[in-house]
Amino acid sequence: MAEAPTENAKRPAVSRPAWWSSPGFVAWALWGSIGAVVMGLAAYSGAKAFVARRADDNIRHVLLTHRGLHHYIQRVMHPAYFAAREKGMVSPDWYSPMVLSSSYIVRNMHGFYNQERVKDGHVEIYYKMATDNPRNPVNKATPLESGLLRKFNEQRGLREYRETVEIEGKPFLLHAMPFLETNGACLRCHGRREDAPPGLQALYPGEGGFNERAGVIRAVEIIRAPLSPERFTVAILTASAMGGLLGLAGLLAFNVRLRRLVEARTSSLREEVLHRAQVEREVLQLNATLEGRVRERTAQLQAAIQELDAFAYSVSHDLRAPLRAMDGFSSALEEDWAPALGEEGKEFLRRIRKSCSRMGDLIEDLLRLSRFTRQEMDPKDLDLSALAREVAEELRSGSPERRVVFEIEEGLAARGDESLVRALLGNLLGNAFKFTAKVPEARIEVGKTSWQGRATFFVRDNGVGFDMAYKDKLFGAFQRLHSAEDFPGTGIGLATVLRIVQRHGGTVDAASVPGRGATFYFTL
Amino acid sequence: MEKYILLVEDNPDDEILAIRALRKNHIVNRVEVARDGAEALDFLFRRGTHAGRPGNLPEVVLLDLKLPKLHGLEVLQRIRAEEATRLLPVVVLTTSSEDRDLVESYRLGANSYIRKPVDFDQFMEAVRQLGMYWLILNHSANGVGAHA
Repeated sequence: MAEAPTENAKRPAVSRPAWWSSPGFVAWALWGSIGAVVMGLAAYSGAKAFVARRADDNIRHVLLTHRGLHHYIQRVMHPAYFAAREKGMVSPDWYSPMVLSSSYIVRNMHGFYNQERVKDGHVEIYYKMATDNPRNPVNKATPLESGLLRKFNEQRGLREYRETVEIEGKPFLLHAMPFLETNGACLRCHGRREDAPPGLQALYPGEGGFNERAGVIRAVEIIRAPLSPERFTVAILTASAMGGLLGLAGLLAFNVRLRRLVEARTSSLREEVLHRAQVEREVLQLNATLEGRVRERTAQLQAAIQELDAFAYSVSHDLRAPLRAMDGFSSALEEDWAPALGEEGKEFLRRIRKSCSRMGDLIEDLLRLSRFTRQEMDPKDLDLSALAREVAEELRSGSPERRVVFEIEEGLAARGDESLVRALLGNLLGNAFKFTAKVPEARIEVGKTSWQGRATFFVRDNGVGFDMAYKDKLFGAFQRLHSAEDFPGTGIGLATVLRIVQRHGGTVDAASVPGRGATFYFTL
Repeated sequence: MEKYILLVEDNPDDEILAIRALRKNHIVNRVEVARDGAEALDFLFRRGTHAGRPGNLPEVVLLDLKLPKLHGLEVLQRIRAEEATRLLPVVVLTTSSEDRDLVESYRLGANSYIRKPVDFDQFMEAVRQLGMYWLILNHSANGVGAHA
């Protein structure tokens, strides 16, 4: 049996836990954080190395430039000075560190260099030609520089040395390069005091810068760049890297969330699809069940119709047989025993026979009504006007003594079963014909009109009409609103009309003013 | 040989009335009566209780349709199936106005039909016409031929 789908038909709830509280996401966040820290550290060290490298490049650049200047002073300016003095162009008493001392010149040049750096927004870079035996005390090596000088003298192959140092709590990148090995030319000014040019001796009264030996590295060039401003750069770089990473992580998280969302939606859609398929199956099953029931009911109805058929057949035969006997033997009595019966007896026999006849008519009408109910329909396009004319003609010829005016509208068309519609018109026109029997100028109209907003056909007469109070009984079987004495009939005609109209899916209605006629409206 | 009528009718009242109608219409032929369809066939084919029945076939068979044992239409079918009775005139008696009975009767080869109305007078008239048509040559020598 088909049951209305109840629980199954309800849409299943799709559970969606908060994406951020799911175990998968927590694990992902944990690993993501660890990864971000590792990547941050890597980014930090990378950035730091980059900054150091930049500082180193700057330092090296400064050193090499300064070294170039040293070379120029020593290899170009010093020989030029001595050549000029030998030729007597320069007084032997004249000496100026501003022109001849490479440490002086480079130190001062570095001062300008730093000025330009600051102007350009860069940090100052420390530069020093450090020695343990300076002419000018500003060049005196610090203990650190002194150590480096010793280091280079001990490791002659070492071309440069670099380390990060902290001075007064601030970090610096320190770069050191050994100055020239002292040679013969150097000793002209740095050898014994009395050998040095007189101008130099006059300018430097102390022993500083003298008494050097050939083959010794007498100075170390120190250059130092502060690393603290670069830390800012490191921080920026690290932050950028971290920011990028976090952005990436966010993107990944978003992606994960999106994927989870897509998965959830997909699964919900899948469930929806499955649910719909289930509902569809149920509907199909229901349809099949319904079809089965329709078949079942149809079979039952057909059985009922067959039963009705058999019943009607039986009625027509069995009910009429006794009537026939009553009437037949009454007739025999009338004919063969008339003298013995007397007038009253004959009158009784006549009444018996009249009753038989009436009951015969009733049975006949009942059967006809049942036949109109059972009869198979063969719908066709019908010319109602022509059918009405035929029926009217039959009525006229059946009662040639009557004068009835039929007004039948032309072109009345409908679709229906011809024999049923003919019976319908026969009943309506027959009724109109019958109930105008006592009207001097009988008039029956058939046409098309609008009744209660619908296009309907009508049959109108100017006969006795009926009381609208009994309208409800009009279409019932064996319901009569007039006595059989006044108007003969069994009361089956309008019941037949109703059946026929119903079988065509139409409606029938009636209106009347007693004594002024009646109008029957019908649709097919 | 004597010309007679075979009436196949199970209702005794109808039998009496039918014979009365025949007589009233001056049809005086002998009327043999079969009470059901099987007996009618036995009679016609001289079988069973009617085995060795002398004589010929009836002039006309008046066949009621609603019969015990064998329905009238079946009887008609058997009559038409046999060579000996293929042309035997059969008039169907029907109480019903059911069209299907009439249509089926004619399809199976009935020669005519009489409706048995409730009104005996109408039946008399129908029998009269039947007699005129089927038994016109069979009126008794001393019968009143007024209707002929």
